[in-house]
Amino acid sequence: MSDTFPTEDLSDLYEQAPCGYISLSPDTRIVKANRTLANWLGLTASELLGRSFLDVLSFGGRIAYETHLAPLLRLQGFVDEIALDLIHADGSKIPVIANATEKRDEAGKHHFTRFTLLKAVDRLGYERGLRASLTKVEAAFAAEQDAAILREQFIAVLGHDLRNPLAAITAGVQMLQAREQLSERGDLILREMLASGKRASALIDNVLDFARNRLGNGFEITCDSREPLQPVLEQVVAEMRTIAPDRVFDIALSIEDPVYCDRVKIGQLVGNLLSNAVTHGDPEAPIRLTADTLGDRLSISVANGGAPIDAATQDQLFQPFFRGTVRSSQNGLGLGLFIVSEIAKAHEGSIGLVSNESETRFTFLMPLTRDA
Amino acid sequence: MKVTGTGSRSMMFAHGFGCDQQMWDAVAPSFEQDFRVILFDYVGAGRSDLSAYDSSKYSSLNGYADDVVEIGRTLGFHGAVFVGHSVSAMIGALASLKAPEMFSELVMVGPSARYLDDDSYHGGFSRAQIDELLEFLAENHLGWSAAMGPAIMGNPDRPELGERLTSSFCHTDPKIAREFARVTFLSDNRDDLPAIKARTLVLQCREDIIAPSTVGEYVHSRIPGSTYVLLDATGHCPNLSAPEEVTAAIRAFV
Repeated sequence: MSDTFPTEDLSDLYEQAPCGYISLSPDTRIVKANRTLANWLGLTASELLGRSFLDVLSFGGRIAYETHLAPLLRLQGFVDEIALDLIHADGSKIPVIANATEKRDEAGKHHFTRFTLLKAVDRLGYERGLRASLTKVEAAFAAEQDAAILREQFIAVLGHDLRNPLAAITAGVQMLQAREQLSERGDLILREMLASGKRASALIDNVLDFARNRLGNGFEITCDSREPLQPVLEQVVAEMRTIAPDRVFDIALSIEDPVYCDRVKIGQLVGNLLSNAVTHGDPEAPIRLTADTLGDRLSISVANGGAPIDAATQDQLFQPFFRGTVRSSQNGLGLGLFIVSEIAKAHEGSIGLVSNESETRFTFLMPLTRDA
Repeated sequence: MKVTGTGSRSMMFAHGFGCDQQMWDAVAPSFEQDFRVILFDYVGAGRSDLSAYDSSKYSSLNGYADDVVEIGRTLGFHGAVFVGHSVSAMIGALASLKAPEMFSELVMVGPSARYLDDDSYHGGFSRAQIDELLEFLAENHLGWSAAMGPAIMGNPDRPELGERLTSSFCHTDPKIAREFARVTFLSDNRDDLPAIKARTLVLQCREDIIAPSTVGEYVHSRIPGSTYVLLDATGHCPNLSAPEEVTAAIRAFV
């Protein structure tokens, strides 16, 4: 047994290195190549000498050599990590990763271009697979996005088209109420029909606002201060009383000056808040609506009694399609509070929520200084 | 775009597919004494504004030629010299047809009017080979665009390169490069050649697989009164491999 190891033989290391070595003259002639590379190509090293390196590259690699690699080598002196296909004597391709440097003398004259080539059959195959799946995923994603836009357009169109027949039904009910002699029972049915019609109309407004928003048109508001805001809110309350005749509404409105805002949208905001109070609040406790313009801001708040909203639910309350865990029967689409917060944002205002054992109160605040 | 030089006539250098205006670094400066020298990057190459790229405008070489004409108008070219490498030779030819007063001389370095083989015409490329090139670009541009800029330091033998290198070399946007490759290699400008009125110089290399000498001779034969010079250079980029030859040939012509 001997402890002496053989010393490394540099020429053997060159010839049988676990990578291909090839040196080119400035006009791409092969001036030296190691045995490893020759074996990969199914040739002998002497058969390679004098041939153009381009002859053992795939056509794409040849063009890329002339248009990309040669300029980069000339200008920068090296290129790293280039994926190339070598062509075996039998015509098959050998994927490799190549690094190259230009050997220049002290005067900067170019003597050789040296390549180190690593076989990368599996790696490049894997990368090709990755690229193929990326292309596939991108195509699927684009198709999915198109489909989502189509769905939202469908919602927008459907919502819009539902408005007219609904308006006709509501108008018909109102005509019956005004002009026809009805039994007490008939009158009750018409009142409920009218309330349901208004509720359906409010839902459609929310869905339309949501769809427009998602379609990238943004949440559009049209502000002016030409007319007072308070009568709009009074109208919303009156409608809510017809929808929920059994509930007690405690109303305190004092908005004296006109407010620069989108009155229809503010009405929708208040309607959504009142509607939620009716649905989720304790039926025995009154629903309180207060609105005033103290200082430089408009403040509108809606409060109801009942069990407080837990913190986890509060976090998600303003997300679209969020529906609380309490009583699922009357929840609608879960767009109401999302629309409320969008209307508030569009008015540069905010929505606050306080919920405890005594009450749950939503407060809308917006600055009054935006008069134009 | 870079404008240098002191001459009264303008000389515009246009790069080909694959690199940017730095292709002319070894040639253009020697004309600065006698010409106003203009170097520029096509949209998508070098430091051009990528947001100006529009797939439909650049779906043929005409879009690129329109840009050349626009630059010429902005700088008031009249009787200028256009030097175009590779595909830019045809872009210059198209520009000279669009604005006949603009260029009195065209210098075509390694031109081809048609890369694809046709029944009787030998361009040197088959459709499958062009697809192979596009595949190569897909495989390599990922790495190039990201790795090009940084990590390039310590070029003691050519210190002037250091700074420019970090601002990316021959950098081309991968998607635009693929579309440019397609537009370039599928172009056919054979019927435009006889209409060229500018004095034209065709510079041809030996062993150029992209524009073989038969292709260069064809371009020469179809452009009325053109001059043909076979350079003592191999490959497709004599402006890099034999800049002195290219400079001398241009100087003798203009």
